[in-house]
Amino acid sequence: MARVLEVRDLAVGYGDEVVLDEIAFDVDRGQVFAILGGSGSGKSTLLRTLIGLQPPLSGRVHFTGIGPPALALTPPRFGVLFQSSALFGSWTLLQNVLLPLQKWTTLPADAAFAVAMGRLRLVGLDRYAHHLPSEVSGGMRKRAGIARALALDPPILFFDEPSAGLDPVTAAELDELIRALSRDLVVTIVLVTHELPSILQVADQCIMVDRAAGGIIARGAPRELADRNVDARVQAFFRRQPLPRTS
Amino acid sequence: MTATTFTLQRATTADGRLRVELGGRLTLTEGAQLWRQLQLALRERPAEIDLAGVTRLDGGSAALLASLVARQRSGGDGVEIVGASKEAGRLLRLYDCARGGDCAREAPTTPGLLREVGAITHDLFSSARAILAFVGDLAAGLAAALRRPRSVHLTEFGRLLERTGADGVPIVLLINFLVGGILALQGAIQLHRFGGDQFLASLVGLSIVRELGPLMTAILVTGRSGAAFASELGTMTVNEEIDALRMLGQDPQRFLVFPRVLALTIAVPLLTVLGNLIGVFGGLTIAWWYLRQPTTVYLQELTRALDLADVGTGLLKSVSYAVAIGLIACQRGLATRGGAEGVGRSTTSAVVVALFMLVVIDAMWTWVFSALGW
Repeated sequence: MARVLEVRDLAVGYGDEVVLDEIAFDVDRGQVFAILGGSGSGKSTLLRTLIGLQPPLSGRVHFTGIGPPALALTPPRFGVLFQSSALFGSWTLLQNVLLPLQKWTTLPADAAFAVAMGRLRLVGLDRYAHHLPSEVSGGMRKRAGIARALALDPPILFFDEPSAGLDPVTAAELDELIRALSRDLVVTIVLVTHELPSILQVADQCIMVDRAAGGIIARGAPRELADRNVDARVQAFFRRQPLPRTS
Repeated sequence: MTATTFTLQRATTADGRLRVELGGRLTLTEGAQLWRQLQLALRERPAEIDLAGVTRLDGGSAALLASLVARQRSGGDGVEIVGASKEAGRLLRLYDCARGGDCAREAPTTPGLLREVGAITHDLFSSARAILAFVGDLAAGLAAALRRPRSVHLTEFGRLLERTGADGVPIVLLINFLVGGILALQGAIQLHRFGGDQFLASLVGLSIVRELGPLMTAILVTGRSGAAFASELGTMTVNEEIDALRMLGQDPQRFLVFPRVLALTIAVPLLTVLGNLIGVFGGLTIAWWYLRQPTTVYLQELTRALDLADVGTGLLKSVSYAVAIGLIACQRGLATRGGAEGVGRSTTSAVVVALFMLVVIDAMWTWVFSALGW
């Protein structure tokens, strides 16, 4: 299967502070790849570095076959769903989805409208197109964020904690949507999460990062890690148990 | 015309009807051309759109196809998509209009003049109702605060007083000095022509103390503290902090509005006193520099022209300005709706309404004082 993302010897952090080091992994086309870790493990810092919001301290992030690093003059190479959805609050859901289409395509207004409505229909929100983000639920905001991230048909989507703060049913629906995007649109999805049901439901492959260890502590299919990995930190994570205290 | 990576050809079906054959790569990059060419082809009422020659179909193009086909069908013309590969078929089903919603709908057009006028009128009534509700809440809050003064949240009062008062001293001094100087220079040129140099101090003194000092200070406070209060409370409203405050059993009036209005009520008169002094000093500087008038002459004329009533009327105005700025800024902030744009709108509105009200209050006081002979 074609490789779309290669990460080699990556160190991420702030200033002189290295949060995670020697990060290396590959993501294949159409795969759902999860970056796991507890709160404060550095997984969001890693995500910010992958999407270019934060420069790496060292190492490289290479997107295969999808052009050079994004500049303000080129359309974004990937879609991002932020943890807070980051929808523009004074714009309707439709206007939020229309924004990248108006900026980066030459579509006439009615065609852009048709594409934006199509994206909203895909995530089940076309009936709420003219609502403001404050007028819909948290789960709907997440789905609208996905519609916006999908607007330009990016080959890779990055999701930061997509199901955080959602009720189990809404979270399961979102997981189903992520699987459908991967299966039917053949979009590669890299997601950062610590929601156990989501990890087991949607991820094909994953890495687990730990700040105290300073890097990756486990990698593989989620079910494999949950059942066979002997690392105490991995087992504590998957079994939702406190870490054994070290004296 | 630029070459496209897709082709669109017309052919005939077995029963002699029109078939539109698409081929090549259908991607959003060429979505505009695809949209226009397909729209033209669909006007000829084809029976089929054949995708057998399509080598790639992305989500955006699938959405465009689905929308155009839905519109065609809603117009009573049956058109079928045929020959789609397994992947393309799956994608088209994802964007299929039958999954819900009405995708035959046209893009919304810009609202007409009548609708705009209606919306503005509706907004005006909504604003008036919100202001009335705010005044009502304020009155209830004030009554409760008077019964239990300790219920007013004064923890932040010192910081607010510093922000509204002490932090504003440099700009108030600078602007009032310049206003006093400009007024004196304009006056000196005219008075000197008629040999009335000695009246410069009374001109500057009365204008600054009764009118310009309080007004200029209030305008500066509106720009600094009024805008800051409106945007601060607006952001809190948008972030649901005000709702959280209510849920914690705190009254936003007593917790947020009263301390701010109180801080302004103390800070603005104090700033006005400083503004008056420096404005008069600006006049003195011009008198000394332009008219070569001795300082003692200027000060004697000033003390002769000014009395306590003049200072008192100016300070009375400044207190009413302070209350108006505080209430307007807080009301606008608490009435914020929407996101970041809403906060910007509230802040602008707070400053504009407050400036307008300052002039109205000034005119009102001037009329009252002249009627009372003060």
